[in-house]
Amino acid sequence: MTEDVRGLLAEACGLYRDSPRAAASLHEALNHLDEPLRVGITGAAGTGKSTLAAALGETRSLRDLTLADDPAASVPTDAAVRLLRHLEPDELASAHPAARSAFARQTAVDTVLVLARADETGAGRIDALLTAKQLARRAWREDPLCSGAQGVIAVAAQLAYGARAFTDDEFELLAAFAAVPREELERYLLSVDAFTDPAFPGPVSVDTRRSLVSRFGLFGVKLALTLIRTGSDSRVKLSTELVRRSGLGELRDTVAGCFAARAEALKARTAVVRLEAVLQNEPRPGSDRLEARVERFAATAHDFTELRLIADIRGGRTALSGEPADEAVRLLGAQGTTPEERLGLDFETDPREVYAAGADAVLRWRHEAERQDRPPAERAAAHVVVRSAEGVLALFA
Amino acid sequence: MTASAWLEVLDETLDACRSHGREDLVQRLRRRRDRPPGVTRIAVLGFPKQGKGYLVNAVLNAPVCSVGDAATPAVPVEIGYSAQPAATLVGRADERVPVPVERLTGELGARPPGSLRRVEVGVPRELLSAGLVLVDTPAIGDPRSPRTAAALDVLADADAVVLVSDATTPLSEAEVALAHHVRTWCPHVVVALTKIDVCPSWRAVAERDRALLAGAGIDSPVLPVSATVRMAAAKAGDQDLNSRSGFPPLLAWIAEQAARPPEHTSAVLAALSVRAATAELVETLRARAELAGQDAGVDQTTLLHRAQRKADELRKRNTRWQNLLADEIADLQSDAEYDLRERTRKIVETIDETFDKGDPVKVWDEFGPWLDKTLAEAVETNYNFTADRAEWIAQAVAAAFGAQYDLHDLRLGESGAELIADVRQPRIEGFKIGQKLFTGLRGSYGGVLMFGLVTSLAGLPLINPVSLGAGAAFAAKTISDEGGMRLQRRQAVAKMTAQRHVDDVFLRFSKECRDAIRGVQRKLRDHFTALAEELADQLARERETIIAGSAERERRMVKLRREIERLAGLHQRAGELGVLAGRAPRELPA
Repeated sequence: MTEDVRGLLAEACGLYRDSPRAAASLHEALNHLDEPLRVGITGAAGTGKSTLAAALGETRSLRDLTLADDPAASVPTDAAVRLLRHLEPDELASAHPAARSAFARQTAVDTVLVLARADETGAGRIDALLTAKQLARRAWREDPLCSGAQGVIAVAAQLAYGARAFTDDEFELLAAFAAVPREELERYLLSVDAFTDPAFPGPVSVDTRRSLVSRFGLFGVKLALTLIRTGSDSRVKLSTELVRRSGLGELRDTVAGCFAARAEALKARTAVVRLEAVLQNEPRPGSDRLEARVERFAATAHDFTELRLIADIRGGRTALSGEPADEAVRLLGAQGTTPEERLGLDFETDPREVYAAGADAVLRWRHEAERQDRPPAERAAAHVVVRSAEGVLALFA
Repeated sequence: MTASAWLEVLDETLDACRSHGREDLVQRLRRRRDRPPGVTRIAVLGFPKQGKGYLVNAVLNAPVCSVGDAATPAVPVEIGYSAQPAATLVGRADERVPVPVERLTGELGARPPGSLRRVEVGVPRELLSAGLVLVDTPAIGDPRSPRTAAALDVLADADAVVLVSDATTPLSEAEVALAHHVRTWCPHVVVALTKIDVCPSWRAVAERDRALLAGAGIDSPVLPVSATVRMAAAKAGDQDLNSRSGFPPLLAWIAEQAARPPEHTSAVLAALSVRAATAELVETLRARAELAGQDAGVDQTTLLHRAQRKADELRKRNTRWQNLLADEIADLQSDAEYDLRERTRKIVETIDETFDKGDPVKVWDEFGPWLDKTLAEAVETNYNFTADRAEWIAQAVAAAFGAQYDLHDLRLGESGAELIADVRQPRIEGFKIGQKLFTGLRGSYGGVLMFGLVTSLAGLPLINPVSLGAGAAFAAKTISDEGGMRLQRRQAVAKMTAQRHVDDVFLRFSKECRDAIRGVQRKLRDHFTALAEELADQLARERETIIAGSAERERRMVKLRREIERLAGLHQRAGELGVLAGRAPRELPA
């Protein structure tokens, strides 16, 4: 796919040799094809972009991409993690930039929505993260404004960031607090002010307490204490559990599966969108031929179809659910795009076995795709899965 | 101050609003005028997810409002005193449906959107017993949404407003704008800074909010509160904790609103509403006047100039296309004629050649159809050439006129080649045997006579063998001579006939062609003259409209200005009422 796009861009460069602006734009796009994938972290002020960027940035599975914290409009990004304060219609609508062209719309598989500061949901009660997760899930399933997103994920970035870099001292401190009888501590956990009150029982200084609450948030402290009391009795255990609950893991997996694994396709898309803008701004003889090729490119790029279907299945916008949905999503490449990952096999699997599994998947899904008793939309989805499975077999040809 | 003073100003403003078609303002003012005595209404307003519901519940120490992720109702909820908890749904047509309080949320969810006007809830709380009503409003959001409209509508009969904004972020631009709007309609506004329990930096946010409000000229206090702490305090019966929740100052502020003497409040509210309404009206009128003024500025100078320029341009174009048409038609005329002449000349040449050599008797059968065909072809070609040129001229003239006009009906008709009569065979005499005999006899007689006379000199008789021989020879020569002459004559006749036919065709056709070209000329001339006239008329009308319009605008401007002055007067008077009622008036923003 990248080579196709390279060819397209090279031809366009030739066509626009005499227009410095267009040529510069095209060259930049061409160069970017060799750079790492660029994921922008965007959102209104106060949504915690930098914290989230920092929390995501140290993740190993995202090594091969660049995270751009609140990139300027002039910096092109291949995909975006959009932070929202609330899932209100106004905010959701503003997170939907109007797609410039049919191609951009058709291949708009480049956004993950994040319900940021999930720990503040519902007045910061102890079930805040759970509520936030449900809200995000419901919005993804029901709100048409969320339908194009690769995911709607509730994340408590501050908590995640703090929990990832737990010090032993901090754990000891929290463990000591957790040892205090609940009733005695309760009134000091009501508010930040109470927590940093000099009357707080025990020898821990106000400054230490303040630094603790500013690192984890009051919610984080309360959650940590509850977790310690209920069995997360080591630093590693607590850290793992807090990160898991913060939603960061889910976000990381989505970014890795939908963006990092599709870096080539997404970069190619950025380049083609750029090319389209040039063609639109400076039409000239010969540019219509390139436009036709852009259209053809959009129609044949299976990656975009796969990503769109993954989002639809996960967002609950198809009739698939349970086991078949999991298999479909896996075959579509949501957990990685190698044949083994698509087929859910170990990396060491004998190629013959991989081939057999692929052939089996093709047969089964082709059967699904041809069942007359299924609605057309479902059959169309099965066709996409068949095409993905056939792609696996094609690697063995 | 008497009640009649503010009633009078209020009514006058009402009339003004009505006459300017602002039914929304009329409604608000009417509700101000008819507000029931002895009731103090405090509205709780704010953007979504700021903690309005929690705040109201914490004020009342009762779970009246739905909170958390549950959808808040799309209509205002009025919470007043009643000895027993009670809830009533008030429909669009003011029909009242009592529902159990604990089923309120479910009942609200079951109603179709838009079917309710408001919800009334009664709770046995001492705070409300003196006629205080708290109004929880739908979240402010999209300015076009009915929820936002319903929330802002509550301002019409609110005596005081609690603006809710959480401590996670300082007031947004939209929130400051909301505060400003609320402050123009309602004299007593407080900003409740919620969620201070979870926000470590709430003190800085409170300072920032105070600065933002002061910067916008809004004299509202900012009160930091935590509903969570207040609820915990209520549960534990802990006075100290309650004071930490920040609620006591808020409750004191609410009590202060309820304690104001009602007639005082009425006057202030009336004055403020009049000022808000007149300010809004003046603003729209000013905008309209400004727009009209801008138009006028453009009109008087530019529009007239523009019309003048258009007229000049049209005149220039008229000369241009007329000249072009005349020149082109003349050219076409001569070109077409030359072309036809050239073609017929070639035909005539061929005719000459044919009959110089050939005998019409032998070749006519072939020649006749050839001539007919060639002539028809020549005419057809010439005609097509003319038609194409005519169309081209039409295009050129249209271009010179300045636009692509519809050039229907400019094609010439059929060339008429099929109407040309076939050439008629000339009367050609053959040289028959009798004629030959006779001619031979004539020649032999001459020869016998001539040689007889000569030989008679030699004493020979007149008729002798020599003269007879000569007679025979002469007869042969005469026949031959006569045959040649006859052929030439035939050829001449054939040539003449053919040439005359060609000439005929040429004459008739070139006349037809000339007529057709003239027809085209006439058609084009009429078409574009009509268009030019139409344009000229249009321009003239435009000028008239401009001139008439500016007069009309002038009249409207005067009217607008007078109306603005009248409203400014009302604004002023309301300000004086406000002074009397103890509040410093702020002048109408210029």
